[in-house]
Amino acid sequence: MKKFLRWSAIVIGCLVVVGFLAFLYFIPPLTMVPQTAFTQPLAQALDAPLKSIKDPAEKILAERGKMIVGHSACSDCHTPQGAQGPNYNEFLAGGGMKDEFKLYGSVVSRNLTPDKETGIGMRTDAEIMRVLRSGVSHDGRVMTPVYMPWFDFSNMTDEDRYAVVVYLRHLKPVWNKIPGYSPLSDFEKLSETAGDYAEHKSLH
Amino acid sequence: MRRWLIRVSFGIVGAAAVCLLFVWTGTLSPLNSSPNPDQSERSMSLGKAIYQSRCAICHGDDGKGEGRAAALLNPKPLDFTSGMYKIRTTESGSIPTDEDIARAITNGLHGSAMPDWGPFIHGDSLKAIITYIKLFSPRFKEEKPRIVHISSPVPSSESSIANGRRVYAKLQCASCHGTDGKGAGATATDLIDDWGNEITTANLTEPWTFKGGGTARDIYLRFRTGMNGTPMPSYIGSASEKEMWNLANYVVSLARKPVWAMNAEELKAFYAAADAEAKKNPVRRGKYLVESFCEGCHSGYSADGKVLPEFKLAGGLVFDLYPFGKFTSFNLTSDKETGLGNWTDAEIKRAITQGIQRDGSRLLPFPMPWTSIAQMPDDDVNAIIAYLRTVPPIRNKVPMPEKPNIFSYMWGKFEMLILKKDAPGYIYPMKDFRQMEHDAKSGTVGGQVSKEPQSTSANSLSSPLVAHNENPFGNEERGAQQ
Repeated sequence: MKKFLRWSAIVIGCLVVVGFLAFLYFIPPLTMVPQTAFTQPLAQALDAPLKSIKDPAEKILAERGKMIVGHSACSDCHTPQGAQGPNYNEFLAGGGMKDEFKLYGSVVSRNLTPDKETGIGMRTDAEIMRVLRSGVSHDGRVMTPVYMPWFDFSNMTDEDRYAVVVYLRHLKPVWNKIPGYSPLSDFEKLSETAGDYAEHKSLH
Repeated sequence: MRRWLIRVSFGIVGAAAVCLLFVWTGTLSPLNSSPNPDQSERSMSLGKAIYQSRCAICHGDDGKGEGRAAALLNPKPLDFTSGMYKIRTTESGSIPTDEDIARAITNGLHGSAMPDWGPFIHGDSLKAIITYIKLFSPRFKEEKPRIVHISSPVPSSESSIANGRRVYAKLQCASCHGTDGKGAGATATDLIDDWGNEITTANLTEPWTFKGGGTARDIYLRFRTGMNGTPMPSYIGSASEKEMWNLANYVVSLARKPVWAMNAEELKAFYAAADAEAKKNPVRRGKYLVESFCEGCHSGYSADGKVLPEFKLAGGLVFDLYPFGKFTSFNLTSDKETGLGNWTDAEIKRAITQGIQRDGSRLLPFPMPWTSIAQMPDDDVNAIIAYLRTVPPIRNKVPMPEKPNIFSYMWGKFEMLILKKDAPGYIYPMKDFRQMEHDAKSGTVGGQVSKEPQSTSANSLSSPLVAHNENPFGNEERGAQQ
């Protein structure tokens, strides 16, 4: 009996070790993955939309926009997350960042692809640039700071913001419906900005 | 006869009724008596509501221009309590007219973060918000706006522009705006406004960034009225009306093409020149990049989510990402002990493009987006480092990343990958964290409890950063009362 217990303990111990090693092998800690495994897929995803642009002027602008979209890390929040990191097949299609606030509603990153129904296909250039300049979305709501760091992008020049818009217009459109701004049912009661809420309602 | 009598009496009664009605409505009409207090009260609460939800984030609850986002914006939001408005049609030093304020709200101020609110604030809302904004300064009660008389414009012509160039030299515009309008050879370079904030001169070749608009009339008005609170004076004494119009025509003629109107060759030349300029002056390019991408996370915040100007670029924003650990944004100032003062250029470059810390350990690909900075051209990375060297030191000790123990990390990964749970992530300022945690534990925070034990406190801690002005604890209490 003692022997059996000892053996079973050894077997279980071995299984745990093997399982742990297998886990490490298939899902290694992110700090063990070589850097290029992160940077190269991102670089490819960033470059992909540029190939199909015919108009030479637009191509130069889009290249500039790509540079800015690249280093301002739009993709960190706006690309949906797969099981193993960002899903670059749906580059910038939104939903990569989700947060719920028990008082105010939810924060979900928007779909930035030019999809007509769910993305920026239905937004004008001025509306997109207003978001980047002042954090005011198409319905007049001031965007949640820190999550969308518009007060950083506000310091960009208008020309750079325009280049970003040109680049975003050439992304692969992806249908990805992001839940809209959803104030909680007791938002009006909790907030002093009832007037704002009424205004918001009348816009929809 | 009887029928006639009935008709007359009906007529008399009707006329009396109409007269009575007139008298009755007469007493109510605002023309005959003081304005309906109900009406003005409603307008006031509407004004307050709009101000708090749309304006206070930059201009502050008290109208002093010190809202939560203000410290990072360039130029800074206006201080309403001073009554000094830049874009007016009134004499230098005077308060603006209601139309001036309405125009600024509707069209926005180009070259700043003030957007065009026209689609969202109009009609009664616009009137209400103007009334509310004017309450911040007592000057609107004491003074009347002195509207300028706009003389008849001088049409733009070659001779007018040539005259304007002479006026440009005579009024010494070049000492701030440079001989080419872009600041070349300017002698006054460290300009500050009346509130002590650094300001930059307008680039006269980019009329789409002029706050008051880019037409000759707009530019003439800036000369005529000056810009209150800034070093831009009114030239009413030193130049004639005609000279000011000529100068306006000259400034209009300086305009270059914006990128959205350029063709491919022009764009190529424009960006090549911009890159060469950036290489020649890396600190300026680095400042632009750092201000437009780094500051938001690498700055200190107060408990209610306000960027603290004294902790700009000094780090201190905590990213609590379960199950990876807690990461605090680093102090990027040149402080020797707590900042980048002792780092070599190569170490900074390695950290921001390869995610390798100074001690050789690796960073995760988030929240510090070194994977994205790796996409940057080499010159830009060097420019960022060159600028960070010039940032004055601020002492702010930032803790190193806190990693969870291996078991909770494994369990967290198991939850994420197998149970497909969304990993909760929270962002909150480091400085007030302890105090707020204490409040949360002592039961000030109630309400819904989420599944994760640490998220109960962290969730409410991160809510100050939501686009609302109230303290979350205050909100809780009000919610509980109702």
